[in-house]
Amino acid sequence: MTTQTGRMLDEEHRRNLDLLERMERAIAGAPEATPELRKLLGEFARSMEVDIARHFEFEEQQLFPRLAEAGDGAISELMREEHDAIREVAQELLPLAQEVVQGAVDEEAWDRLRLGTLELIERQVSHIQKETMAMLPLLDDLLDPETDGELALEYAATA
Amino acid sequence: MTVAGAFLGGASGRLLPASIPLRFFGAAVAYHVLGWLVLVVAPGDWMAFRGGLGWPLAALHLFTLGVLGMTALGAAAQLLPVATRQAPVGARALACIWGLYTPGVALLALGMGLALPALLAAGGIAVALALATWAILAARHLRGARGMPGVCAHAWSALASLFLLLASALLLAASWLGWDVPGRQLTLPLHLLFAPFGFMGLLALGLSYLLVPMFALSPPPRESTQLASCACIVAALLLAAAAVFGLMPDAARALSWTLGATGVLLHLHLMRRALAAGMRKELGRSFVLVKLAWAALLATVLLGGVLWAGVELPRAEPAFGLALIAWLLTFVLGMLQRILPFLGALHAAAGKRRGPTASMLTHDKALKAHFRCHLAAFAVLALAVAIDAPWLARAGAALGLAGAVAFAVFHLHLMRKLRAAGV
Repeated sequence: MTTQTGRMLDEEHRRNLDLLERMERAIAGAPEATPELRKLLGEFARSMEVDIARHFEFEEQQLFPRLAEAGDGAISELMREEHDAIREVAQELLPLAQEVVQGAVDEEAWDRLRLGTLELIERQVSHIQKETMAMLPLLDDLLDPETDGELALEYAATA
Repeated sequence: MTVAGAFLGGASGRLLPASIPLRFFGAAVAYHVLGWLVLVVAPGDWMAFRGGLGWPLAALHLFTLGVLGMTALGAAAQLLPVATRQAPVGARALACIWGLYTPGVALLALGMGLALPALLAAGGIAVALALATWAILAARHLRGARGMPGVCAHAWSALASLFLLLASALLLAASWLGWDVPGRQLTLPLHLLFAPFGFMGLLALGLSYLLVPMFALSPPPRESTQLASCACIVAALLLAAAAVFGLMPDAARALSWTLGATGVLLHLHLMRRALAAGMRKELGRSFVLVKLAWAALLATVLLGGVLWAGVELPRAEPAFGLALIAWLLTFVLGMLQRILPFLGALHAAAGKRRGPTASMLTHDKALKAHFRCHLAAFAVLALAVAIDAPWLARAGAALGLAGAVAFAVFHLHLMRKLRAAGV
């Protein structure tokens, strides 16, 4: 991977995967929310709300149209569909996660949160897998150094 | 884009119709149950098996042709188009191959179990025709290959091995029919060499270069090392074949073992690096099985060396056979439990906004039961070999059967979920 944009996105993928794996380990068999789990859930919810929105919007506005123009419309279409699915699960999950972070929820709500979180983690991991192996390597041919520099600056400015 | 990336990113264009690979995998799951069942109910002490017709030979072929071969045919049919960067072709031919191969394996196993050479020959011919047709399809893909020279070199070598193993198998079947053919002292060692190490072994090693980086999210292993590993193993097979024909047997065997062990170590080195560099660290139970399979591969190499060097080690021969089966069966089952939901989710997600995920298609409790029973089965079988206890071996087979049934439950659950998702 030679582009700055690709490396920035890759770095975010790595951080995100690390968080997702920690979250998965913590919540998979947890019968209730412990203080540590609440803290991690808060970090996870923030990441879902802020980072993913920013990351997804950048890809949808700046990268997918360029990929489609270059003849890789199938990949950009698949990535966009997965963004929609991840947003949908996140939207269902975020209110519940915030309730748990702020206080206790009943057993039924906890189970819904746990299963929803595991679904979101799996969709995210699978999506990162596709972007890392299929999309990011394409940026090497897609972006000339000037465009790459501009996009990297623009993305860094939204952080 | 990496080849795995081409698969993941342009998935729909690279996929065979779901029914094609799934029918091969389904038959493999069924033969897995049958293989263990035969070992549980087979009369006599099958640990004393040293060749000849009977139920131990039938069980061996239910595992090798029924589970390993069947999975290889289905997996390679789906993965070779990915590795060679071509659209998959031959869906109808693959369905016909399955239609010939599946009953062929059953007939062959029955012929072996009941000691009926005519039945064995009929099954053998069906299996040979199916495998030869499959090899032609695979060769067509490989001829147009672009990229992944390491995977392609392994696949070409596996195909060459397949023809040698088929020739030796047909000669063995002919000898059981009483025909005047070259002696078993030549054909049997060649068969035992090119079936597990040549065809299945090279295919398993080659496809690992595609599958392991894809699941671990790591860069593809270095092509030159993949090719070096393949060259070492192919040279080892050729030298071992030369030893069978009596060409400087001692030197040929020693060199063959050294090259084979080097090839295996290079492969394991690449696999270790792929896992270490992978972005995904939590690869779950399936990769525990894959790692244990690699440990069994190392044990196979070591025990093979002991046997060829003529070192006096009690029960080394059955221990070698057990390690060999443990390597291939554990590897195939580890990969299969990963590939099946992955492939199912790719098919089920096509055209849907929020298709099922791989874990939604997975019966985790069944897989957990399979994991425990499978490992317990091989541990008990190893102990039975060590203390020469046939009753314990049968208990090990019963554990294997329980694991196989649990794996079948996982497969049936996945098929039901896929049907519900409209696949």
